[in-house]
Amino acid sequence: MSSPLPAAVVRSLREIVGRGHLITEPDRLVVYESDGLTAYRVPPRAVVLPASTEEVSRVVAVLHAANIAVIPRGAGTGLSGGALATAEGVVVGTARMNAILEIDASNRLARVQPGVINARLTEAAKPHGLYYAPDPSSQSTCTLGGNVAENSGGPHCLKYGVTSRYVTSLTVVLAHGRVVSLGGAGADPNASLDLVGLFVGSEGCFGIATEIEVRLLPIAEGVRTLLGIFDTMEAAGRAVTSIMGIGLLPAAMEIVDNATIRAVEASVFAAGYPIDAGAALIVEFDGTEAGLDADADRAEACCVQEGASAVQRAAEADHRAALWKGRKKAFGAMGRIAPDLLVQDATVPRTRLPEVLVRIAELGERYDLKIANVFHAGDGNLHPNILFDRLDLDELDRVERASKEIMALCVEVGGTITGEHGVGIDKRDYMPLVHGPEELAAMAAAKAVFDPDGLFNPDKVLPLRTQGTEPAAGAEA
Amino acid sequence: MTERVTTSLSDVVPEEALSLPSTDWGRFGPGANVVVCPSNVDEVAATIRWAGATGTRVVPIGTGRHTEGNEPSGDFLLLSTSRMASVQIYEPGDLTLTAEAGLGISALSKVTAENRQWLPFDPVDFPRRSLGGLGAAGQTGPLWTGYGELKNHILGMTVVCGDGRFLKLGGRVVKNVAGFDILRPVVGSRGALAVITSLTVRLFPRPVVDRLLVLEAKSLVDLVGPARAVAMASVLPASIVLVRERNVCQLLVRLHGAAETADADQRTVEAAAGVPFVAVDGGSARVLADSVRDIGGESDLALHAFVLPSRLRELLAIVNDMVDLNVCADVYRGSLRVSCAPEADADEIATRVRHGMERVAEDVVVERLPRGSTHSLGTSRVRSDAVLELERGVKRVFDAGNVLWDGRP
Repeated sequence: MSSPLPAAVVRSLREIVGRGHLITEPDRLVVYESDGLTAYRVPPRAVVLPASTEEVSRVVAVLHAANIAVIPRGAGTGLSGGALATAEGVVVGTARMNAILEIDASNRLARVQPGVINARLTEAAKPHGLYYAPDPSSQSTCTLGGNVAENSGGPHCLKYGVTSRYVTSLTVVLAHGRVVSLGGAGADPNASLDLVGLFVGSEGCFGIATEIEVRLLPIAEGVRTLLGIFDTMEAAGRAVTSIMGIGLLPAAMEIVDNATIRAVEASVFAAGYPIDAGAALIVEFDGTEAGLDADADRAEACCVQEGASAVQRAAEADHRAALWKGRKKAFGAMGRIAPDLLVQDATVPRTRLPEVLVRIAELGERYDLKIANVFHAGDGNLHPNILFDRLDLDELDRVERASKEIMALCVEVGGTITGEHGVGIDKRDYMPLVHGPEELAAMAAAKAVFDPDGLFNPDKVLPLRTQGTEPAAGAEA
Repeated sequence: MTERVTTSLSDVVPEEALSLPSTDWGRFGPGANVVVCPSNVDEVAATIRWAGATGTRVVPIGTGRHTEGNEPSGDFLLLSTSRMASVQIYEPGDLTLTAEAGLGISALSKVTAENRQWLPFDPVDFPRRSLGGLGAAGQTGPLWTGYGELKNHILGMTVVCGDGRFLKLGGRVVKNVAGFDILRPVVGSRGALAVITSLTVRLFPRPVVDRLLVLEAKSLVDLVGPARAVAMASVLPASIVLVRERNVCQLLVRLHGAAETADADQRTVEAAAGVPFVAVDGGSARVLADSVRDIGGESDLALHAFVLPSRLRELLAIVNDMVDLNVCADVYRGSLRVSCAPEADADEIATRVRHGMERVAEDVVVERLPRGSTHSLGTSRVRSDAVLELERGVKRVFDAGNVLWDGRP
């Protein structure tokens, strides 16, 4: 149980944000005790909801003056425990900072506050013929501030890239409330060090982004979606390699395996995928209408050549949504199979996918666990979903061991432990699988540049031993 | 190269790694104490440690041909990665390549062309750069419009820091958020943070059609309207460039894709601009695009101005009547590069252009000047104390002893 905040701190925070925007009642704090990764739960000492950069700055100054950790939080949809209120911290939420400040259509830019929902920005840009490209699966609820913190991707980042490609400038609140502007769309991108690029993906450990400028893209004229049904995962994987090998660059390529198909088809989200299929592959092209059918024809030929038993194609929005349904509802459907779900996230070189999937299946058998795979096949970003019951302690132990082995396997073949969910607290102790002590020390030193006292989102991303050696490189100099 | 330096360095790197300073190594060549060309990471680290111990600054270079910025004063050596030029991992199916930093872009392109893959960037003199030099410069060229910035496609690096530490940054996969992205500030830092020894880059499939749409006009400002209309159209070209060389003004719109796509995009571009373009395809398109890319590469003057794209007209208006200037504008970014013919008085031109641009532009960067110029290299943008402090902090993470030269203008 966290200790209550000192009365003087409470008074100061209330004065800044108003009585209604400081939450200290235990029953209301329960909402903030975890993010999307519910396996970890810690109730914060308090939650503060500022409304402006100035308020964030003052809130951070008060908390840091009292040596209290700040835990930044967007919508709480993260899947790595990044918003967990560790170190007796106070959550600073951006929910009230939800204004789209400007859509600058003539420069294809938008300026937003961090609490703006990802999909809402695309809606706002739509009348200008523009949209915001990164589309994490939680885009109807996740915030741009959270996307910046996590460097979020999404199904369409195969073609369009992740958040860092789109952020042109940031206003950030750093330690003790210092406000700093970084970058700028109209400036020479190489005139200074890429501090924007360094800040994006820092998981709330460097500071809080309070204003975000992003690039927008023109809405594609047309879209074609293919759904290929395969007898085996290997065949679907070969089709992915074949499509990329002939020079096509789809906007998205997603695979769901048999276990997932069965879960979806047995649920209220049934999408009409054949339940005996080994895998379903979704391939989507977007762009100039005139070239789409030719691209789709070539991709379909690849699927057939690799053994697809059926290939459906859709151009209209409703039909496309139907083909996507089995993919998009996969996580929801798994809820009826097991009470708990661990959504793993790791990336491997695309050509190693078939081998890795076979070995993940073997791990599932060895640990007697049900593992269902849903993943971004085009960029090798796997999401093995381990189904379990957290009340079964033996099973929980097997989940943890299998999970670690999956990550080690991905690293062994040249991949990494997280492609888009971030490290947070969940993968913090697995960081040594991919980074040596020197690299971890350099990361700790980089954090210390922005947060010398270690008061932003402590205990996240870096193994605790590394955090203890923070002053080694950067802070002392 | 003094005998003292040679003798001392011979203790840490083989004789064949040492070379005489000369203009062959670029602008800083003649002033260097020595040029060191290590053949592996250990020799890079040994050289840097030696430099730190002897108070010698290190200027990392690839070939040295594209070195810009301020020359160090005092003792310095050039550390060239030119002998570290092997392809380490190339898996066409993954569309990724890992190579040592000294690999030339033209050599890399030959390797990837066998699989119809390429690195879609076009900074000045692209083929004659090294992969490491490209990463250190962080320059993408106008093709960023269609493909994104270089920094988004450098997936991993190995580097040697100012104290000889060896770091592996990033990885080999296209999506990777395992830890803080300390690779990003190294890209574009021009060697100020670390010596890049290898890189992993994302490759792209070569487009089936490479088409250049060309529109000529009497003056640059006559082309701004069509250029902006194309930039605001519903298609996203690979690049949109406005050029003037030897008083010939052209708008060039590059389209990549399948044949049907290129045809349809051309119709959209022409409808947006309200005029027909001349279309050049294939090898001829590439030759023309390459010649435009390299405008000003040999000039004594290189001046780069940046605005938001909607204000590009104001910037172009400043140079519109200065017909002795060569101009290359990236319409989608809103940047303008100015150079001059070899016979021109570069210093006088800099005087004429610079102040006008500084009134309009968010950033004016003087990247190259003739020797003896009355101007100085540098940027007009004033960075806040807070940003400078953060930059100094990041520098300390990599090079606390300030061994690596920060020559950024």
